[in-house]
Amino acid sequence: MSKKSRSYVRFPLARRIEHLTMLLSFSTLGVTGLVQKYAASGLSIAIVNLVGGIENLRAIHHVAAIVMMFGTMYHILLAGYHVFVKRSRLSMLPALQDIKDGWQALMYNFGLAKSYPQMGRYTFEEKLEYWAFVWGTIVMGLTGFMMWNPVTTAHILPGEFIPAAKAAHGGEALLAVLAIIVWHMYVVHIRRFNKSIWTGKFTEAEMLHEHPLELADIKAGIAEPRLDPKTLRKRRKVYYPVAGILTVVMLVGVNSFVSGEKTAITTVLPISSPVPIYLPQTPTPSPTAQPTPTSGAVVLTWDGSLGPLFQTKCGACHGTTVKLAQLSFATYADTLKGGQDGVIILPGEASGSSLIQKQQAGGHPGQFSAEELGLVSQWIAAGAPEK
Amino acid sequence: MRNTSQTFHPRRACILIAAFGVGILILTLASLAQSAAASAAPVAAQQLDAAACLACHSKPGFTLPLPSGETLLLSIDSQAFEASVHGAQAVGCTSCHTDITAFPHPALIAENLRDVAVKMYTTCQQCHSEQYNKTLDSVHQRALAAGNTNAAICTDCHNPHTQTRITDPDTGQILPDARLHIPTTCARCHSAIYDQYTTSVHGAALTEENNLDVPTCIDCHGVHSIANPTTTTFRTNSPLICAKCHTDPTIMDQYGISTRVVNTYVADFHGTTITLFEKTHPDQATNKPVCFDCHGVHNIQKADDPIYGIAMKENLLVACQRCHPDARPISRIPG
Repeated sequence: MSKKSRSYVRFPLARRIEHLTMLLSFSTLGVTGLVQKYAASGLSIAIVNLVGGIENLRAIHHVAAIVMMFGTMYHILLAGYHVFVKRSRLSMLPALQDIKDGWQALMYNFGLAKSYPQMGRYTFEEKLEYWAFVWGTIVMGLTGFMMWNPVTTAHILPGEFIPAAKAAHGGEALLAVLAIIVWHMYVVHIRRFNKSIWTGKFTEAEMLHEHPLELADIKAGIAEPRLDPKTLRKRRKVYYPVAGILTVVMLVGVNSFVSGEKTAITTVLPISSPVPIYLPQTPTPSPTAQPTPTSGAVVLTWDGSLGPLFQTKCGACHGTTVKLAQLSFATYADTLKGGQDGVIILPGEASGSSLIQKQQAGGHPGQFSAEELGLVSQWIAAGAPEK
Repeated sequence: MRNTSQTFHPRRACILIAAFGVGILILTLASLAQSAAASAAPVAAQQLDAAACLACHSKPGFTLPLPSGETLLLSIDSQAFEASVHGAQAVGCTSCHTDITAFPHPALIAENLRDVAVKMYTTCQQCHSEQYNKTLDSVHQRALAAGNTNAAICTDCHNPHTQTRITDPDTGQILPDARLHIPTTCARCHSAIYDQYTTSVHGAALTEENNLDVPTCIDCHGVHSIANPTTTTFRTNSPLICAKCHTDPTIMDQYGISTRVVNTYVADFHGTTITLFEKTHPDQATNKPVCFDCHGVHNIQKADDPIYGIAMKENLLVACQRCHPDARPISRIPG
């Protein structure tokens, strides 16, 4: 019993925190990224609305990307420590044995091999997932840089690379999300619920089942190389400054990644028309009234000037065709006869004539000008002669 | 007593129903007679009244001086009026000039020519309430309400005395000839924009070749309910305007133009953003471009036009630099 209850540390706390960081940033990137890839879908629009618009969504995507960049930096520095200081076994490196293990696992699943392959600290599936993640991070980082800094990119590469980067970024994202949902979900959660990334521990039985070769190494005491404190101190003295420089370089890299260029103006240029909006065409002048005789050539008789004047100004309504108020100015006789209200011209008495009174009141549709009215008054005062 | 009043009396009910029925019958007959009279009377009156009015008003050069010194032309070209849609439909003068009931006419209270038109145009809503109500939301009406009397009113675009038929009465579609004349109508006030339009790929095709596949003013700006084209909402929604024709293979295939332009725009970073803004926050400004930011507004040219085309690298760079000031051609590797 005591053998079975013994547990082995598989992931120390720092590794678990690293995993959680990557899990959260990856999920955030996946959700906010796929929403942009499939922007037209109703679900995407709902999510965009939920975070208050596409600009906010992009800000969240960028923050998650920065978190992942820091996670990647930490991972590189830690890997360096394991490789150069602790000189750990490079148990994550792929080897020919992994292909053999994969083949054997496949044959076993088909019932063609007698046993499932026995594997060490990292199985071929775990290595595949790890290196897929590394590859994905490189692709997403490069294409992400090109989209985050399109102007800088276009200074170096043809502009077509930017939409190509966008296509690659989206395609790789879809691959990564599906890999997590299909591979990771099946291997870690469905085939057997593996809690070690949360608890950090494996029982002996689990170790025997999943990583028998590692368990054998642990029992033989050869899983980790032994180090005397003096060597360790010497190697750290070299690694820490190198790691420090590397950190600075990577931080500068992240900074130029994030704020390397001001891609576009932030405020929209106001829409301005290069030409005046309101510029009326020169209107066609309205036809003016027919010219009336000027005073210079005025002959104060009906036949001379007054007859034509009356016909021009009044004939439309008071003529032979239309004879409003029974009044016509067609002939001299008609004019003196008057209309339904009686005589309108009293020869010799201009101010007493109702024609003059009506015209002086104004507002008649056929209205004489002041000059014309003066002429008519003079003509009446002169006895309204015909000839 | 209480009980009897609540008891159902068949005979009393019958009398009540009969009385009610007779009442309804009388009312129906009365209203029928009234509507028959109403539909018969105006036609007769209109036919009389157009002839009576034209007796005076068909005389050329019939004018009225206005206080501003301008002259109001009172003459109507009777032939043009008879050829107009109103003349053909026997719409009489007093249908619109409702204040004129007899002679002498009531005094015209107007300071100037524009005043006459602005006071008069609301009469159109009597028959054209749908169009009139649409104009109430338009940019012209807003300008007018703000005191700009230059703003277009019904009669600026449609001279009621000469306007011929615009739409096919069966289909409601704009007649080809009417469509050809839309830009010249808008040009009366927007002549500088019209001049730009005539040089564009769209306008040149319309004005020089009578090509009706191209958009006129109203295809982008709408008609009657013309919206302010300088708002953020208009800008954000504008790709949908271009998409109307540019995704239609029946038009585009004739000219060898791709109908995928909108899809590729929407798939692009600019277009995705605009599409999302259009769906979520159309009234909020975004710095991402819409079609006309790069292709131009009234002066749109063919993309491959050797001088003005946006596909020419020099022109493209200028377009990009409007929003990306740091954009420059790709660096040449020395040697």
